Amino acid sequence: MSKRFVSIWFNHLTTDWFALRRVDLKKIPFVLRSPVRGRMIITAANTVAEAQGIRSGMMLADARAIVPDLEVADDDPSLVERLLTKIGVWCIRFTPVVAIDPPDGLILDVTGCSHLWGGDESYVGDITKKIHSRGYDVRVAMADTIGVAWGAARFGKGSLIVAAGDHQALMSLPSEALRLEGEVIDRLYKLGLREVSQFIRMPRQALRRRFGQSIIMRLDMALGQQMELITPLQPIEPYQERLPCLEPIVTAVGIEIALRKLLEALCFRLHEEQKGLRASEFKGYRVDGKVEKISIGTNHPSHNVEHLFKLFEPKLSTLEPALGIELFVLDALRVEQQLPKQEKVWEASGGLDDLRLSELLDRLANRAGSDAVHRYLPDEHYWPERSIKVANALLEKPNTPWLAGRLRPLQLLRVPERIEVTAPIPDYPPMLFRYHGNIHEIVRADGPERIEQEWWVEQGQHRDYYRVEDAAGRRYWIFRLGHYREASFQWFVHGFFA
Amino acid sequence: MIGYTELQVTTNFTFLRGASHPEEMVLQAVAYGYKKIAITDRNTFAGIVRAHVEAKKNGIQIIPACRLDLLDGSSLLAYPIDLPAYSQLSNLLSVGNLRAEKGHCHLYKKDVYQHAKGLMFVVLPPARLNEVFELDISFKKELKEYRDVLGAHALFIAATRGYRGDDSKLLHRISEVAQALSIPMVAVNDVHYHHPHRRELQDVMTCVREKCTIHNAGFRLHSNAERYLKSPEEMVWLFRHYPDAIRQTEVITEACTFSLDELKYKYPKEITTAGRSPQEELIFLTWNGAKEIFGPHIPEKIKSNLNYELTFIEQVSYAEYFLTVYDIVRYAREKKILCQGRGSAANSTVCYCLGITSVDPTKFELLFERFISSARNEPPDIDVDFEHERREEVMQYIYAKYGRDRAAVVATVTQLHHKGAIRDVGKVMGLSVDTINRLSGLIWDFKDEGFDKKRIISQGINPDDPTIQKVLKLTDEFIGFPRQLGQHTGGFVITQGKLSDLCPILNARMEDRTNIEWNKDDIEALGFLKIDVLALGMLTCIRKAFDLVKNHYDRDLTLANIPQDDPLVYEMVSHADTIGVFQIESRAQQSMLPRLQPRCFYDLVIEVAIVRPGPIQGDMVHPYLRRRNGEELVEYPSEALKEILSRTLGVPLFQEQAMKIAIVAAGFTPAEADELRRSMATFKAKGKVSYFRDKLIKGMASNGYTLEYSERVFRQLEGFGSYGFPESHAVSFALLVYVSSWMKCYYPDVFACALLNSMPMGFYQPAQIIIDAEKHGVNILPIDINDSDWDNKLDVGLQSEDKYFNLRLGFRQIKGLSEKDLEVLVAARKKRYATIQELREAGVSGTVLEMLADADAFRSIELDRRSALWELITKDQQVNALFSSQSVSGDEEQKIVLPAMRLSEHVIQDYATTSFSLKAHPVSFVRAQLESLHAISNVALLHAKAGTVVKVAGLVLVRQRPGTASGICFITIEDETGVANLVVVQKLFDRYRKEIIQSRLLMVEGTVQREGEVIHVIVKRCYNVSVLLGQLTETDEGNLSAKPSRSDETTSPFLSKSKKPAGEPIQGLIFPEGRNFR
Repeated sequence: MSKRFVSIWFNHLTTDWFALRRVDLKKIPFVLRSPVRGRMIITAANTVAEAQGIRSGMMLADARAIVPDLEVADDDPSLVERLLTKIGVWCIRFTPVVAIDPPDGLILDVTGCSHLWGGDESYVGDITKKIHSRGYDVRVAMADTIGVAWGAARFGKGSLIVAAGDHQALMSLPSEALRLEGEVIDRLYKLGLREVSQFIRMPRQALRRRFGQSIIMRLDMALGQQMELITPLQPIEPYQERLPCLEPIVTAVGIEIALRKLLEALCFRLHEEQKGLRASEFKGYRVDGKVEKISIGTNHPSHNVEHLFKLFEPKLSTLEPALGIELFVLDALRVEQQLPKQEKVWEASGGLDDLRLSELLDRLANRAGSDAVHRYLPDEHYWPERSIKVANALLEKPNTPWLAGRLRPLQLLRVPERIEVTAPIPDYPPMLFRYHGNIHEIVRADGPERIEQEWWVEQGQHRDYYRVEDAAGRRYWIFRLGHYREASFQWFVHGFFA
Repeated sequence: MIGYTELQVTTNFTFLRGASHPEEMVLQAVAYGYKKIAITDRNTFAGIVRAHVEAKKNGIQIIPACRLDLLDGSSLLAYPIDLPAYSQLSNLLSVGNLRAEKGHCHLYKKDVYQHAKGLMFVVLPPARLNEVFELDISFKKELKEYRDVLGAHALFIAATRGYRGDDSKLLHRISEVAQALSIPMVAVNDVHYHHPHRRELQDVMTCVREKCTIHNAGFRLHSNAERYLKSPEEMVWLFRHYPDAIRQTEVITEACTFSLDELKYKYPKEITTAGRSPQEELIFLTWNGAKEIFGPHIPEKIKSNLNYELTFIEQVSYAEYFLTVYDIVRYAREKKILCQGRGSAANSTVCYCLGITSVDPTKFELLFERFISSARNEPPDIDVDFEHERREEVMQYIYAKYGRDRAAVVATVTQLHHKGAIRDVGKVMGLSVDTINRLSGLIWDFKDEGFDKKRIISQGINPDDPTIQKVLKLTDEFIGFPRQLGQHTGGFVITQGKLSDLCPILNARMEDRTNIEWNKDDIEALGFLKIDVLALGMLTCIRKAFDLVKNHYDRDLTLANIPQDDPLVYEMVSHADTIGVFQIESRAQQSMLPRLQPRCFYDLVIEVAIVRPGPIQGDMVHPYLRRRNGEELVEYPSEALKEILSRTLGVPLFQEQAMKIAIVAAGFTPAEADELRRSMATFKAKGKVSYFRDKLIKGMASNGYTLEYSERVFRQLEGFGSYGFPESHAVSFALLVYVSSWMKCYYPDVFACALLNSMPMGFYQPAQIIIDAEKHGVNILPIDINDSDWDNKLDVGLQSEDKYFNLRLGFRQIKGLSEKDLEVLVAARKKRYATIQELREAGVSGTVLEMLADADAFRSIELDRRSALWELITKDQQVNALFSSQSVSGDEEQKIVLPAMRLSEHVIQDYATTSFSLKAHPVSFVRAQLESLHAISNVALLHAKAGTVVKVAGLVLVRQRPGTASGICFITIEDETGVANLVVVQKLFDRYRKEIIQSRLLMVEGTVQREGEVIHVIVKRCYNVSVLLGQLTETDEGNLSAKPSRSDETTSPFLSKSKKPAGEPIQGLIFPEGRNFR
């Protein structure tokens, strides 16, 4: 049985993808750009922009001169491959053998597939319609060889289905339909050879001498005289476990067993692949069609069944089985690499790496609410309120060291509190201050450290900070808002030293 | 009186660190009552002259100093106590500059030690203490070393109150070590800006320097704004615990009495002959020259002029300067490099006799006082233009003659322009590239009026957004900041002694060039003499033309011996037949010529000067034309102005005239008038413009001039600011205008050939020059492997029936080829090539052959481009050569028939390779279609009545939107019959922007406007008909009907791929894009 191939050509792959996220981009001239040797070059243009004469490869500045209200977004060089892979995997519904054909197409080996759709016409029609309804402009062509299908998709006229054994279709295609290098195409055009038919009958020798082996190879491929290999896509299986039940489950015990089974299966796979989960969701599909779900998160990638089970456990009671659950699904929403560590004989426990710590934190956070436990990291700001930030993960490394050379209090008040002071003017530290009704006499002081507002964030007066110690040996971080020369200034306490 | 002097001031000449101009620092210091401040930029003196000038104006003094950043030690502030010490410091910086690449200065401790004599040093301690609240041991060691080498009397240690929280500890430690080593502690404030408000700009500059945004700059910024220039009272207060640190500033200040005024510029002693003094030498040479020019009987007028001028030169003792220029010109003449002087002094009779200029001083009336204004003791101004291809030889001659330590190029301070400023600030503030582009797009036709709210809104940007406002405010401050030191186009400073004694020398970006740190304003302020050695493309062209005339017509021509006042030449010029002619070839000039009808040399001077932003903005053009044509009475606003304006019929056209008006009518001093002109040219003095405007208008009003007239004069001055065109320059240019016109008139073959060989230059593409030459009866021959050289040339042997020589085009017209590629081909051409194989054997590379084939240069061996290419591109040629008897390309290959090329395809290919075609004009192929669209040819336009509506079409040659024409776009299009001039008003331009910018072939509908010979089409509608050109390459054989289905207009959801649609883009590659001028 002879081979059949489908070539899918995405005319506006990337701009279509952007338009899916912002509907108005369909209607306005829109391009993607990326810097090439210091200049902004257009890498893709949508239909509207093309109709106004914008082409990819143009300089952005030139394009703007033509269309001043051009909408522009940054291109992402990895986007094409990612999109093609995604759509390619999705296309496995049409045939098991799908390969991506960068920069703008897919190749499907559809040998023996189309009769399932009732013939080539409806098969190609269905592919076109389905991809089109996902929001992508495509041209789909089918032929005996990849070469002809590729050319027909991009340059063909009329029907895009080349009947089996039809070699004439190739003849009427333009030279560049042969997938040749730009230089060869330029030469063919210069010599007036614009169509395959004009040179396909020339002696192979004469062609090879002038255009190299590639033209012969491409011709042979298009004619089916040389095999062309494609690398089919392998879809990644999601980290998901399913447990269908013969009888609907209604009891808590039953749900627990189901969860444990699923966890075991999932953790086994994670363990095998040296991975751990950071977030997971447990779903129960009820007989009445509703879905019940609970989810957990961890501080550290984990495939520890016991630990994970404990995290789920307190939430299990919120699952309403009602008339019964007939299907349980456990999804690992976020999976991270977890390489096994060399175990040490004499290991001092403690530190952020300690698994027990992270598991404890998981449990605390699970019980007390995720806002209750915080970890702070330094942030590069002088303004004290912004000099710290909440860490996202237990293992997050600070990307800046703690501010050295400038002493900061151990405890920083979220909002500075007003104090009343007696201070000698001008910029000497106060002699005493009243805080929460108590009077503190200052015996030692250091400063001032002047910190200005970060003008790009907000405007306002600067602060003069002093470190002071009262008679009882307690140390405070206090500041005066505003310059001493100004008419009105206020004093605040902002933190406490150990 | 509080004795504090600020000794550490970083201005914006420490690029991307200092956030205030030197002038601002000085003015702030004046406001605070400082008597002196030091300017200490990092490893540079670039800002001190400006500060000095401003300080002098305000009656205070600066200490010219600098901060030495060392590669192997702590930074030092260095202050020279006297002139020799200043020279030491200047030499030290030169040493650092010359060993590093441009923009860097590499200094080591040992360099400082070698140049330390007479310098006072302040060492800068680390900004913070170490973990145990101590100064680092290494610093203490270094301090001791400094003290031991530099001497305890000359070394101080700096103390700064930075409000960093640990000030008192730091000061305590410094005072400790100061006492221990008995180095006095001195108070400084590390000033980076004149006012705390500039902290924001300083932060932005830090981000530009560190290549980050304000949001992620973090600790690279400073935590507060304390590094501003503080008042002495404040400083005394801050150092109340260390009063001695304040006192020590006085110690330094009192020791450093050196002022830049003490710099004595010495002009080099020119080498004279026979023991004559420079003045005697000048007199000798001048009279010798006069005798050569006028023969033994020198006209009385010349005699009296010379006597007068020579006395004057003696008075101001500029003889040596004239001798220097003379020597440079002499060298150029020796090397057969064409040159021509210009500038005020260049048009003197002395310069004429010395051969510095070829403009006959009897041709116009200029008073010599005007050449050198002794009132301001301003140095004479002589610029010399040289052939652009050979100017470097002259420059190297100057370096060689005076030595690199005595001659250097003046710097130009590159200032930040609107676009650069907004780009930098916008990026730092985290605006998207897109928004920045839009904001800077607002500057598309930006003048100095700032950002207009409405236009910002029109770009979809909210002008009230705080970030945008901040960006605009910071941009406004940032504009005009110096960004780098470049080299002046050709201004040389030459000294008698070592130049580096006066100013640091640094390497220029170009090889073999060195320049100084100061720009022309700086050196002018200090009274240095400068000689401008400039490059001019037209001189190259004229020299090539002279050579051709000599070789082919056997006639020796020079700039001076071209027959003068030839009516035929003026006739040609008056008909605007000036394609390729110097200066008067532009569209605007061409439309002016028939109206002005130049008939004598001085008319050309006016022609050159009148089509310029100055007269246009001042609305002086039309009054002048009316008066010239006798439509308006020649009258003068006052008797006083008659003297100034009589030569130009009462209308000020030249820069000097406008300035003289300011002096005579508005009571400006000459110095003020000059400052007025200069303030127009630079953006930094934004405030000053309105100040001068008021002064001018008030002054003129008090002398009885109308407001309207004075405003016109002011606008004209504004225009002159950036594109000044003084009469003396116009005179020199007019000579070149005349010479090139004469050449075009009498030897169009020579002129076209020389012009093509000097490309790129001027306004037109080779195609227009070739077409123009053909029109003047020159026969043009195509490029051919057997007949062409690299350069275009005139064929030998004049046929009796021909008036001119045939012009054979050279390989240089082929895009992408280099002279080197063709050397082999020409060298091996002993006899004519007969086959491609011979060329290959000669060693011509495959790619070159292919390019030659593309250019259709194989016609003499009877191959058109397509067959030549088919033969050429075989890859197995080597084998083929060895076994040529049993050739692989046997009978089978013989049978292959390539599709024949139509003429239109050839023309397109010609354009693709050489941007012109001798075979036909591309528009001629679409004439039928154009006619069906009712478009008439450009030549038919000559007979069209004014006011009728016509359609014309053609290739777009030039699009021009001059800043002076309020958004009007001028377009020139060309068809097979000639060119047509289009005018598009702003409103229509916005509407048809796409058509105008995109079209290669543009068709317009519009009204014919005639003014004498000048015909314009006032455009009403534009059509992009470029797609017609696409048909030229398509095959028309019916059986190949299945063309790639790639039209853009298809309505099917299957939009076809358009890598190379048959229509526009491919043409875009082939046809030279119309040139855009602003």
